[in-house]
Order: sequence, then C-alpha cells, then structure tokens
Amino acid sequence: MYVWLWRHLPGPTAAKLLQALMLVLAVVALLFFVVFPLLEPYLPFDRVTSG
Amino acid sequence: MSVDHRETGGDRVEIDRVRPPGRFRDTVRTVIRGVGQLLITLGVVVLLFVVYEVYVTDLFGGQKQASATEAIDRVWASAEVTATVVVTDPSKLVTDPRERTPKYKTLTGEGFAKLYVPAFGADYRFTVVEGTNSDDLYIGPGHYAGTQMPGQQGNFAVAGHRVSKGSPFNDLGLLASCDAIVVETQDDWFVYRVLPMAEEVASWTSTPRPDCAGVGVQTGAYAGVFGREITVPSDYAQVLPVPHVDTTAVPRGAKRMITLTTCHPQFSDTERMIIHGVLVKSYAKAPGFLPPELGTG
Repeated sequence: MYVWLWRHLPGPTAAKLLQALMLVLAVVALLFFVVFPLLEPYLPFDRVTSG
Repeated sequence: MSVDHRETGGDRVEIDRVRPPGRFRDTVRTVIRGVGQLLITLGVVVLLFVVYEVYVTDLFGGQKQASATEAIDRVWASAEVTATVVVTDPSKLVTDPRERTPKYKTLTGEGFAKLYVPAFGADYRFTVVEGTNSDDLYIGPGHYAGTQMPGQQGNFAVAGHRVSKGSPFNDLGLLASCDAIVVETQDDWFVYRVLPMAEEVASWTSTPRPDCAGVGVQTGAYAGVFGREITVPSDYAQVLPVPHVDTTAVPRGAKRMITLTTCHPQFSDTERMIIHGVLVKSYAKAPGFLPPELGTG
C-alpha cells in the first residue's frame, strides 16, 4: 500500500518526501476534524449525565 | 517438522513446477505486507484518537468556553447597575436566598452562571451553560434542564466532562467535605459546601471545622445523601429536587442543593460520580466585591 504510493508519487526523493508528509497531515486533519467527531458519540468514554 | 520438510526436497520441486516460483512468492509477500501495514495503520489511528480525545478536544472546548464566558460577561456588564455607594464588606452583602429570584433567562447552549471551586485553585472558573446534550457539554459544564436554578429550593444540577473537552470536572474525586462550590449568577453569589462523605458520617460532629458551618449529616428525606456518591448511569434521581427521591416536585421546606455529575472511573463511563452540596451562604453582587470563600476555599 505504502510502497505503491511511494512509487506513484512524482519527482525526486525530496519531493516525494514532502508530498508524503502533506498526505499524512491531510489524513490526520480529516480524522481530527471529521471522522473522530462523528465517531465519538458512539464510543463509551465520556458520557457524564445521569438518567 | 521443518527438518523433515528439508529432507524431502522432492516435494518442493513438485510445488515449484506447478506454480511459477517468483510470482507466487511475490503475491504472498505483497498480501502479508499489505495486512501488516493495514494493522499498523489502524494502530496509529487508535493512538491518534487518544490524542484527539485527551488533547485536541481540550483545545476546541477551551475556545468554546472562552467565547461563552465572553458572551456572559457582556450580558452581565449591560445588566449591571452603577452603584453610588461602593460596598465591599461581605457582612453587608449577605442575602436571604428566599428573597432572591432569578431575573435572567436561559437559552440552551448559552452561559448563565459561573462555577468556582477554590479548592482547585483561584483560576478554576467555568461558565455553566443551559442543557446537557453533547454540544452543550462541549462548551462547559451544563445545567440539567428542568432542575432548579442556582440558589433556589431543590437541586441545581450540573453535568461536566471528566476527560476531554476542557475536562471541567476532572478533579471532582479530590473534593473533600465542606469544600466550597461557588456559583455566580447575574445578581448573586451562592456559596454551596460539599456534604459529609459516607465514611465520615459516623464520626461527624456538629461543626468539625469552622468552614463546615451549615453542613451536616443529612437526615429525614435527605438521609443517605452524601458528599460523593458513585452510582449507575441510569440513576436520574440524583439530580431531582430531593436527591434519591423519585419526584420532580419540590417539597415545602426543601433544601437548596447543588449536584455535580461526571463519568467514573476516569477514562470510562460505566459509572457516574455524583457530588452533593448544600447552600450555606449567599451574597448580592457588588462592583469590586468577591466572596471571601473564593480566597480561602
């Protein structure tokens, strides 16, 4: 998966590295701002009310 | 087994002849590597979720709390009457809670009071919003709709996150009996104090410490209400006017209670931690006046 991605990123190693870093950041942002907030209410960690 | 396998080399030749050696091994390698990478990735995602829950939501919650506080400060500033005489003597500002009725309105998701716990430090201050759904609680501690307002007879009940989203109620487990919980509204200061703990009841004297004035072992309808209780999530009676008594009606002569709820144990929500306190004092707000309880705890 990652090998395939690395092979398909264009440019020299430095450029590949930069692009890979951007991709990682994009995925992390997607998780933090979209996926986790959606997922959170269904997970049994922090429900605080009685009743 | 492996030794046997090596000795019967003929079998291997047989297999090699059936499938082209390079391709088969490449496929196996690719599949195994793919599964491995997927598992590592999932592990990293789970770790990221922990980072999100414990740190990132604190940042978001902090921003929401700050803007809620800004909003309530604006409302209070516009409602403030300019005093002609500056009164800062606490004894002159003491009020009878029976004569104080809330003159403010509450809107779900908006702040209407501030909560102080001097035992957690002078900077412990949260704006309490109306409502207890997840959006409300992201902003700060939330008032159970339908429970009483600060200072009123009955129960002023507030829920708050223990871990994540500002973690307002992370330290409720550290509260001791007689610790002050101070609530500020538009016109009033209400000083509540935590009730005796279950294990202290047997040896409780009328006032074990000077700051315990007005705090005592609960009797009658209130018997069995303690400073801290660990209970099941479905125990809604904890936030009713008389805790544990299953009615929403406020009986004549009801006490003025405060109840704080959060999840328990930390990082889990299989149980609830409940803190009960009783109103011991109230002050009218005045410019430049802070209740002495805020300093001493």
